Amino acid sequence: MGAPTIPAFVRGETVWDDPVAFGGTGEACAFRAPDPVALLDRLPLTDPLRMRDLAEVTTSDVVDYLAELGPRLRLSVNGFLREALEHSTAWSDMTPPVLAACYEQLPSLFTPEAVRAVAEGTVGSRFLDGWQEVASPGGGTAAVRAVGARAVHIIAGNNPIIAAITIIRNALVRGDAVIKTPANDPLTAVAVARTMAETAPGHPLTRHLAVAYWKGGGAAVEDRLYQPGNIDKIVAWGGLASVRHVTRYIQPGVELVTLDPKLSATIVGAEAFADEASMAETARLAAVDVGALNQLGCFNARVVHVVTGLDAAGLERAERWGELLHREILRLPAAVSTPARWFDPELRASLRALRTSPDWYRVIGGHDDEGAVVVSRVAEPVDFHTALSGRVANVVPVASPRDALKAMNAYTQTVGVYPESLKRRLRDLLPLYGVQRLVSLGYATRFRPDVPQDAMEPVRRMVKWIVDESCSPGDVHPLGHLDRRAEPWGRS
Amino acid sequence: MITGPDVRLFADDPMEFFGGSRHAMHTMPPHDLAALQLAALRLRFAELRDRLPVLRAMADEQGIDGITRLDDAAPLLFPHTIYKSYPASLLLEGRFDRLTTWLSRLVTVDLSGLDVSGCDSIDGWLDLLDGRTELRLAHSSGTSGTMSFIPHTREQYTRLYDIVRLEVLPGPERSGERLDVVWPGFRTGRSGIDRHAAAMAERIAGSPDRFHSAHPGPLSADVMFLAARLRAAAARGEAGRMEIPATLRERRAEFEEAQRAAAAGMGRYVEELAERLAGRRVVSLSLWATYHEMATAGLARGIEGVFAPDSVIFPGGGAKGTALPADWARGVERFAGVPALRYCYAMAEVIALNLICPRGRYHIEPWVVLYVLDPDTGAPLPREGTRTGRAAFFDLLADVCWGGFVSGDEVTVDWSPCGCGRTTPHLATDIGRYSDRRGDDKITCAATPEALNDALDFLNGALL
Repeated sequence: MGAPTIPAFVRGETVWDDPVAFGGTGEACAFRAPDPVALLDRLPLTDPLRMRDLAEVTTSDVVDYLAELGPRLRLSVNGFLREALEHSTAWSDMTPPVLAACYEQLPSLFTPEAVRAVAEGTVGSRFLDGWQEVASPGGGTAAVRAVGARAVHIIAGNNPIIAAITIIRNALVRGDAVIKTPANDPLTAVAVARTMAETAPGHPLTRHLAVAYWKGGGAAVEDRLYQPGNIDKIVAWGGLASVRHVTRYIQPGVELVTLDPKLSATIVGAEAFADEASMAETARLAAVDVGALNQLGCFNARVVHVVTGLDAAGLERAERWGELLHREILRLPAAVSTPARWFDPELRASLRALRTSPDWYRVIGGHDDEGAVVVSRVAEPVDFHTALSGRVANVVPVASPRDALKAMNAYTQTVGVYPESLKRRLRDLLPLYGVQRLVSLGYATRFRPDVPQDAMEPVRRMVKWIVDESCSPGDVHPLGHLDRRAEPWGRS
Repeated sequence: MITGPDVRLFADDPMEFFGGSRHAMHTMPPHDLAALQLAALRLRFAELRDRLPVLRAMADEQGIDGITRLDDAAPLLFPHTIYKSYPASLLLEGRFDRLTTWLSRLVTVDLSGLDVSGCDSIDGWLDLLDGRTELRLAHSSGTSGTMSFIPHTREQYTRLYDIVRLEVLPGPERSGERLDVVWPGFRTGRSGIDRHAAAMAERIAGSPDRFHSAHPGPLSADVMFLAARLRAAAARGEAGRMEIPATLRERRAEFEEAQRAAAAGMGRYVEELAERLAGRRVVSLSLWATYHEMATAGLARGIEGVFAPDSVIFPGGGAKGTALPADWARGVERFAGVPALRYCYAMAEVIALNLICPRGRYHIEPWVVLYVLDPDTGAPLPREGTRTGRAAFFDLLADVCWGGFVSGDEVTVDWSPCGCGRTTPHLATDIGRYSDRRGDDKITCAATPEALNDALDFLNGALL
């Protein structure tokens, strides 16, 4: 199969012009896409007045629009998405069955209930649809409205849901989006956009979207695109990898919103080891956190702290639980998890090294790159814990849940906890160590777009918050906030 | 016809085996050399398999009982992580007894009688090992959060520099001759490159006054480890949680001195070299970036053409991610006054310099078996033609530890004889790091070690 050509999408129109080769190594390229430099004149919305049409669109309109779009994003009826899936092996680190399951999830994000939950859980439709009066303790009145902004979205490609979420968010905030697709998923955003053009050609939400690929850091594109005349915001996933080049362009008038790369962990309390049934159940739940989506997400579990104690009996429990965990990872259905497409040779080498160090580590499985569990025999993660991937977990025995906190830092996103009572005890403490999200064991990979993300509210930062303040000399003295002894305001 | 004693001599003392001839070392017919290497590798495997628990564990795991072809040893080449396969807390908590036990699984040297109860620092532990055993551990920079300790012996370094002597002082009539050594670093140390300082001082300079280092003091392993940990902790937002061990706090003055020396740069040093060694023939070994720094400091002071034109400058280590100007080597040549540099392809894990030839190719020394592996599967690529893959080595000189090692380098080898006349396998000079390769513009929400290192670099850049 030759390298596919991927169109760009420019404000309702699918563009195939001037394809150039991208990605891949050596002679073979991963895909072809329109020369981004040739698109530059049409990608950004240089005249912000052209966003006037979006002011007429209400949240209900957005809900209706997306509700009509959703069913057309079913893999069984959508040729664009099927094409994205067929070509995914050219660029994705995910395996086809797992990727297919992700695509099958897409329609559920577009249902009226789901979209309303995001609207109300983030900005609130009353701010998006009109001017919202707010309390004015000092007299006068004020109203606030969330107005769409022009943003470049540098999205991550480890899960196609990210492309869909970005399009939903942009529609909800009535923004104007230029999506820069990543080399590991150059097609999903285009596929959704083309479906929008088929569903509602000419609709303002369709016309305020552009999708293109260019190589991140390419100055020929970015020098010209990242200017205050073209955009108001840059929303960048993937931290320094994508932001390093962007920081040059940050200036008054261009705001940067970063969704940093993170890693996640797990704390399994002593209750899990009270009896065989609890051990089996918690291993099964933890396997989902480790293995779902092939452990490519930031929310996947990697280091699993188990409160077994470090005496001989405790280490024995930790190892036995590690064996259960390994078995449960292998039992995950193929739609949820498969052996990795590309198993990191460095990680394979690290596992080989630890197999020779039985005093400190026990390596369970991993001989066939199917996934592995490394059980530490001391209360510390392996030194390569940031490289855990391909369904490899590190089980670390600790004497108390507090001992697990030492391993948490500014790079920790999610911590899955068992049982609930322990989670409640830890939830005021963990954020001090950098943790951003606590979740019940087994649900780490269940992404909710309606709640804050990465310890902030990205959707609230995608809009411009405009205020309209009203006063009259009859109720608020014009000099009153400056001069408390001002003469009474009278007509002169 | 290879005999048992031949093989033993080849493995233990290649200089003697090749009659003290560099030419002989690099012109053996490739087929004969491969046969000799296989015999020596079999000898090492037979002798070490049951005496090195780590090797035995790996051989058992892979089901390898014997070696009949060079490729059979490929699954037994150690990943670099073997040399740090201990919990980091052992180092942080100064558990040198347990570190010694860990080390004893990697070497045949009997460490059971070694009393480490007096060791309260990495330097102290390495001191003790240097003083009481033939082992000379080379430590890493510790930037990964753990320090690697790579076992070598004093004998290995000595043998290497006896061979390097042949490069710089060929011919038996010059065996008593000594040369000035220019060492643009700390005078002593135990990192991969600094281990070479002692051997050069002894085998080439011969006396302390002919060994000219940029800094008089030792480079402390504890300081390197602490500095690496501080940077990593700052990047993770944990700097406030770092505890500096009391034993290190007490050595503050020593560290400050080291820091001053490092910060002072090369200015004073290049002036001293120009005064003391003008027109003299010297030998020098260092990193590319260090030479660039040295030459920049010299040329900025109008100092150039310092040494005799037949001086030998060995730059090694590559650019290591630093952005050197394209013509950095011209600056070094101009400053030193030599027509060309003698690049070497060396690393802490393998005791060899693998020097460049006039055709611009790195020739692998005959006592080192080169493997070029498929970068993803680790399977050895055929030992013929031109191949690109991950470089791995078996250092046949290693007799108390296992000489097999897999590097992170992407190399292109040509197994056919070189235009320079040498028949040993030779590498192109553009050597890459696999860690820099993958995921070009692949953006993910999950942090990778590379991303964390980037953050570290970014932060360091911001602090400087």
